[in-house]
Amino acid sequence: MSTDVKKLIHKYMPDSQMSRFGKIFTDSTEFMNIDYSDVMKLGNEHFLVLKNEQERRFGLVDPKYWVKRVKHLESGRSQILKLAFYETFPMYIGPFEIKCYRSPRKEARILDLVKGDMRFMQGYSKNDIAGNNVRVLDIIRGKRLDVVVHDIPVDHKTYFHEYFPDIFEKFIGACEAISFLHSHDEKHGDVRRDHLWVESGTGAYRWIDFDYAFELYENPFGLDIFGLKSILVYLVGKANLTMQTLLELGTENSILNTLNSGDYSVVIGNRVVNVKKIYNYIPNSLNNILMHLSSSSSVFYESVDELLVDMNNSLKEIRSL
Amino acid sequence: MTLNKILVAFDGSENSFKAVEYVGNIVKHYPICRVLILYVERLPDKDLYPDDEIWVSQCKKNEVEMTEKLSLAKQTLIKQGVSADVVTDQYFASCKSPFHDTDICTTGRSIGMDILRIREEGNYDTVVIGRRGVSKAEEFLFGSVSTKVVQSAADCTVWVVN
Repeated sequence: MSTDVKKLIHKYMPDSQMSRFGKIFTDSTEFMNIDYSDVMKLGNEHFLVLKNEQERRFGLVDPKYWVKRVKHLESGRSQILKLAFYETFPMYIGPFEIKCYRSPRKEARILDLVKGDMRFMQGYSKNDIAGNNVRVLDIIRGKRLDVVVHDIPVDHKTYFHEYFPDIFEKFIGACEAISFLHSHDEKHGDVRRDHLWVESGTGAYRWIDFDYAFELYENPFGLDIFGLKSILVYLVGKANLTMQTLLELGTENSILNTLNSGDYSVVIGNRVVNVKKIYNYIPNSLNNILMHLSSSSSVFYESVDELLVDMNNSLKEIRSL
Repeated sequence: MTLNKILVAFDGSENSFKAVEYVGNIVKHYPICRVLILYVERLPDKDLYPDDEIWVSQCKKNEVEMTEKLSLAKQTLIKQGVSADVVTDQYFASCKSPFHDTDICTTGRSIGMDILRIREEGNYDTVVIGRRGVSKAEEFLFGSVSTKVVQSAADCTVWVVN
């Protein structure tokens, strides 16, 4: 088998310095066994495995053995293969634990739906010979939106007046993308800061990772809407505003003393959403949107479209400041 | 307001059985015209299953269980003294159900709104629903059928049974 891989490498990568040649896999069921220098064969296409992808969260590096960084030998393009992994795991939002499922076919279906729509990651799916759904994904070169915002080296007031309007406008576009999914009865499933990327070169905001599924009946899109609002709070505040970060930012005691329980998120109790109390130049039209997430609110957005109406009105006001 | 036709929203939970019993205790000596025990189907999400075969099998299992519970709820009312002639039950199937082929079905977008739609179409004057007692944060994230019904109901009485 390794000679087969060697032949493929010599054919498609004649200048390669590779000295190790693995096996050709047509069945990805045992994905833990597929590693560097192996080739995954899907139909007539060959994908040379370079490494397992990793997830970095809370300072820990967690290898994702079902996600392989590969080189598509026929085209020479670097891509990602996501192999079928039927994982059930708890997702934590504030004090709540939500039973979450990893669904290859959900992601495959959404990839079909958003084909050519560059607001989303692009790719396609194919079954291996054992019928496992394998998603072939294009790599987005860029950075997470929150990292981009965090790294803007200016004070908040300068950020808000000079950078935020453009960021807000693009974020509205990203919300429209989620609304598009909802209008097709699809959920993103994991709307959070590290799943919205800013593409290098184009500056486009693009959503990644659509494979989370969960059961929600009365409010099927509730978690997506919550995720969008949470990202917006971050973008407006240029940080997650907790008492700790506010102290680190040198926020005056006279401001901190005015914060009460109604100024914090209804779901994540230590996060300030009444950002206007911290930065008083934030217009009411924008702060009111953030306050829909507060524990003092009695009305919530039931759809992304409702949120979009308020965000577009606020953007107009901000542009005219 | 009249008390003539009652719709009891039922989901098979302990709370919804309590709502049924509550209705039974009130209307057993009352000249009521109709009590409908309504279940709006909550299909398991297809994406949680590796293939359609396993999903269909789960749908079947759920439907059998819920049909039995609906029957039990109906018998509960009758045992309490409500005339069998006025008690009916309805399994309101999902539009995506593998077993029911009908245009009159639930889209799964909002059970609360489906309940109210059936109330309006059947001219029920009273809706009865059990309450789980979720927090504001849970309601925000996951929604609440009883809150939806209370907030959106028009031209009818709503009883929320704790």
